[in-house]
Amino acid sequence: METIQTSLVNAFRLLPRLADGILVTLEVSALSFVWAVVWSLVLLPLRMSSAPGVSPIARGYVEVARNTPLLLQMYLLYFGLPVLSIPLSAMTTGVLAIGLQHGAYLVEIYRAAIRSIHRDQHDAARALGLRPFTTFRLIIFPQALRRVFAPLTNQSIVLIKDTTLVSAITVMDLTLVGKIIVERSAASDAFVVVAAFYLLLTSALGLVHRVVEHRYGQHI
Amino acid sequence: MFPVFFANLPYLLKGAFYTINLSVITVVLGLVLGATLGVLAYYGPRPIRMLIAVYVFFFRGLPVLIVVFLFYYLPPVWGIDLNVYLSAAIALVCYSGAFVTEIVRGAIGAIPASQIDAAKSVGMKTVPILWLIVLPQALRFSLPPLLNNTIMSIKITSYSSVVGVWELTFAAREVVERTLAAFEIFLGVMAIYFLLCFPLSVLSSRLERKLAIPTFA
Repeated sequence: METIQTSLVNAFRLLPRLADGILVTLEVSALSFVWAVVWSLVLLPLRMSSAPGVSPIARGYVEVARNTPLLLQMYLLYFGLPVLSIPLSAMTTGVLAIGLQHGAYLVEIYRAAIRSIHRDQHDAARALGLRPFTTFRLIIFPQALRRVFAPLTNQSIVLIKDTTLVSAITVMDLTLVGKIIVERSAASDAFVVVAAFYLLLTSALGLVHRVVEHRYGQHI
Repeated sequence: MFPVFFANLPYLLKGAFYTINLSVITVVLGLVLGATLGVLAYYGPRPIRMLIAVYVFFFRGLPVLIVVFLFYYLPPVWGIDLNVYLSAAIALVCYSGAFVTEIVRGAIGAIPASQIDAAKSVGMKTVPILWLIVLPQALRFSLPPLLNNTIMSIKITSYSSVVGVWELTFAAREVVERTLAAFEIFLGVMAIYFLLCFPLSVLSSRLERKLAIPTFA
């Protein structure tokens, strides 16, 4: 009983210090999500392009981004960019790396949504004399958009979990702050508080995901 | 091209061997754990189902890196002495297993109840229903997501380097510290990971098309 009490006291004592880390984690999450969406919207037309050579290159990028660990992609940028004398802060590098990988995941989500619109609708649109772009704008896109929301929310949960990796390139996020507290003060329970916060964050988004899924229905 | 990478390739391949080792442990034990819990999450008694729900909630909700740190920091507090390899392996198995549990549970849930009723009406017992009707179809549904989970499991073994497990990512950092050839080494090592993961990714998307049951679409 006494140990539970002391660890609770410890936890409360540590909260102010952890708060700074929480802010950094939220900042990294928000920035990298926005960057991932922007980057995915750049990649998508390239991936869907019919111009020779463009789509295979985009596909190559997506496959490499998805089939190698984010930690290594982060190391590549963190230790590699200074060699090219491109000075970026650790935080910018982390955000950059997360967005570069998650952009690739988002492209595949969009593609799955677009593919899930039944072939007959393309044919029907053509029979009505709609041009390919008009078909996409008026028929495919509005339906695909609805089907993107739920997996997009899901991906944002993965993204928040992935922000923990910025701690490996010295960004003082919640993970690194927790780690430093544990290693300096031997208060290992601090890490339980850190874990609890992440769990709170991901389960809150999990609830959002369920609402979105219910609202926009249909799995892909 | 890539002289430093190739000069250090034997060392890195030794790291890759450890990565493959840890991946096999994570994937195989994660599958065994997840498949068992996935079936129990559907057919087990209520208290067990609730325990499994709690397990899945924790391990799917937490970031892997946090799980790895928890298994690294907490056992010593309780007087349990684990070496880093063991603590990282347990962390990765628990994490991967939680995803497998959800995949298996979902696949079982996707089988229409009418099939079970039909089987019961011809006098089949629970175990044959499970073995002959539910699991073969569930396997078919769950194979592509299980392969994707395998890719994830391979990739997350690299996170164990953060607590000091010597494997490919750790070896890569050592070589970079020694040679300063960050680009070459990290790109080369990413190529090794890619060679491990990409074939599985291709297989997964092929199977997804091949194994889909048309009437379920």
